[in-house]
Amino acid sequence: MKLTRRMTLAAFAGMLALGTAMPAYAADLIAIITPSHDNPFFKAEADGAEAKAKELGYEALVLVHDDDANKQSQLIDTAIGRGAKAIILDNAGADATVAAVQKAKDAGVPSFLIDREINATGVAVAQIVSNNYQGAQLGAQEFVKLMGEKGNFVELVGKESDTNAGIRSKGYHDVIDDYPDLKMVAQQSANWSQTEAYSKMESILQANPDIKGVISGNDTMAMGAYAALVAANRKDVIVVGFDGSNDVRDSITSGGIKATVLQPAFAQAQMAVEQANDFIKNKKSPAKEKQLMDCVLVNGDNAPKLETFALTN
Amino acid sequence: MLNNKPTWPILAVTVGISLTACKILPTQSGGGGNAPAFNPDKMVDEIWAAKVVPYLHQKAGPFPEVHALAQADPAAAGGKYGNPNKQANSPWTFAVRLEGKIVAANTQSRAATVDVDIDGDGKADARVQIGPAVRGTALRDSLDFIQFNDFTNQIDFAQFGKAFNTYADKTVLSKLPRDALKGRSAKVLGAYTLGSGQDLPLVTPAEVEIGPKP
Repeated sequence: MKLTRRMTLAAFAGMLALGTAMPAYAADLIAIITPSHDNPFFKAEADGAEAKAKELGYEALVLVHDDDANKQSQLIDTAIGRGAKAIILDNAGADATVAAVQKAKDAGVPSFLIDREINATGVAVAQIVSNNYQGAQLGAQEFVKLMGEKGNFVELVGKESDTNAGIRSKGYHDVIDDYPDLKMVAQQSANWSQTEAYSKMESILQANPDIKGVISGNDTMAMGAYAALVAANRKDVIVVGFDGSNDVRDSITSGGIKATVLQPAFAQAQMAVEQANDFIKNKKSPAKEKQLMDCVLVNGDNAPKLETFALTN
Repeated sequence: MLNNKPTWPILAVTVGISLTACKILPTQSGGGGNAPAFNPDKMVDEIWAAKVVPYLHQKAGPFPEVHALAQADPAAAGGKYGNPNKQANSPWTFAVRLEGKIVAANTQSRAATVDVDIDGDGKADARVQIGPAVRGTALRDSLDFIQFNDFTNQIDFAQFGKAFNTYADKTVLSKLPRDALKGRSAKVLGAYTLGSGQDLPLVTPAEVEIGPKP
């Protein structure tokens, strides 16, 4: 008697520890997997998805893959093992992710991708991404206007492995290159990092003291670049970012950075959960797998309305 | 030139032979960046006269009517003059025609524009892009037969959008006069995307006529 009881307890404890072996208990679970929450953008995504999942009566499993494709694959195994009904995913690589999402699909777990595309269709149920190109064009048009269509400028590019880094750079140049009097004197990657942008900007400024503007692939790099410009007493340099973070909003309202482009991260994550809910409950797929969400220019006019990657009315 | 002529039949024969001897393979796509087969300028060139201009002619409403309805009831205006296959959260893009008098021109910017008074009150009602730099993707977004889903990724889709602007500039806008535009008449067929800003609606033309100096 005592022995069996102990064994049952041990088995139960083992099951708890494994976690992954309990599909039957997680009837209403949605897994939310994003890059690290250190970047407020990804935190806003995860928060938006979690809030919507709870509102619709689901339990949420929030995980981060830290832009590591192997870790992402393990997390997808965890989601499958826990019997998640759907996965909301901001993925860790356009190519590397295809197999992981296919694995989930084969196990009967549909994926709803946000923020970043993958290089395949028919694997995920939905790919809802910000129109980074359209956003970059908005940012570039504002930059061109602020620059008076002429002068030397610097471009800070994001992490090469992230497709959005390339898309934004192309979108910027799509507009800027129409103006022959705008001259790019330096183009460097600062890997989305604020500290790296600071040091890169310091050395660029030494080599090119005659710059008039900096266009940056995201807000964290824009913050780093602006800090370096302030330290060098060059507040006159025009800085434009991308993402719509609260940090850059505060900089805009206090006369620092001039503009950024808001990605609707919060709304996008919520839309993905709504589509997942429709799929789980009504077996209904969205009309189109690939969906683009427009970005919005944020400058001095509307910056006060910006809060956690959403504009209030 | 005359000397070259006889070589053509021989060339054709050679091509015929080489085709039978070769296996036709599909173009490799994926891998690094754009597939070599993707040529947005050529795609626009092929559909412009055959599909784009006829579609705009058929779909376009008079600007004042479209814009008034768009202000009052964007969905109703969208149903009538917009692209029903637009992305869910994108603003409507409308096909429009307009005729009026140029009351202001900005040709200092490379993204040059003319402001057109349509209702005759002396105030501008719409801003028309005249290039060479053309902003936005209104022409692409006005067409119901173009869908993002049919493109590999955002970059291809965006370059396709840009190709419309390039084509419009090359074939229409670059031929327009640049001087003493104020006071002249303007007749435009094009598209505009409903904006939220205070700026005038920005129309991207597919056809423009600018009248002689008054």
